[in-house]
Amino acid sequence: MSPLHLYQLVALLLLCVGLYGLIWRRSLVGMLICVELMLNGAGLSIVAACQLTPANAVLGQLGTLLVMGLAAAEATLVLAIVYVVTRRFKTSESIVVSEMKR
Amino acid sequence: MEIIAKIAFGFYTLVVVGGACVAVTNASLVRSLVGLVAAMFGVAGLYMLMNAPFIAFMQILIYVGGVSVLIFFAIMLTRAAPTGDEAMHRPLRKRINAIFAMLVPGVVLSVAIVRHLPAGDKLPADVPLTALGRGLMERYLLNFELISVVLFVAMAGAVMLAWRQWGEKE
Repeated sequence: MSPLHLYQLVALLLLCVGLYGLIWRRSLVGMLICVELMLNGAGLSIVAACQLTPANAVLGQLGTLLVMGLAAAEATLVLAIVYVVTRRFKTSESIVVSEMKR
Repeated sequence: MEIIAKIAFGFYTLVVVGGACVAVTNASLVRSLVGLVAAMFGVAGLYMLMNAPFIAFMQILIYVGGVSVLIFFAIMLTRAAPTGDEAMHRPLRKRINAIFAMLVPGVVLSVAIVRHLPAGDKLPADVPLTALGRGLMERYLLNFELISVVLFVAMAGAVMLAWRQWGEKE
């Protein structure tokens, strides 16, 4: 196994754990945590793919930076959405919100 | 990989896996956030190991410093108690669904990685910081500016969402 394989497997593991948690969690904040795990795995995969192959390394590292910025923007929006949902439904459970009525 | 690199890789992988498991399974959301922070630190260590120190420090700055604080605010705003929603019993179907959601992409992608991924370089590429700065200021300038626009729009949208009193009954 070359280092590239190992790094990609760790990234895949982060993706799988995040997917498991996304289904398993009941509250919106827990699901947000799982999405952040998956985004971390994505960044790890991109950096491994650009650092350990002849590909353009600058593009890969800056792309990971882009993923981080998007993750920050996404977390901000989710914070606001969770805030509004909690005020409106008095809970942040996803199953209550998905009924789409109060 | 030399022996120290192997040990470091094993340690960071252990931190990532342990943190991710705590983040996903713990009933208390604050503890699960701590697990997420541990996983982020582990990923930052892996970036270091891949000779990308700039990305590693950005990971610590943005994720550990910014995103985790946002998530902590979300936990506080929802007043999530350790005995709340997350601790309640779940039906067996949900567990089976979750395991399927994990296994299907996991098996497909791991087979793809093990079978078809060409062996990469032994040593990671050496990218000087000046090359990164040059890339940000010259070739990928538009992307760099667009990400700041996206961040601004997201922040403004978040303020708007929270500002309008959508929760209250008129």
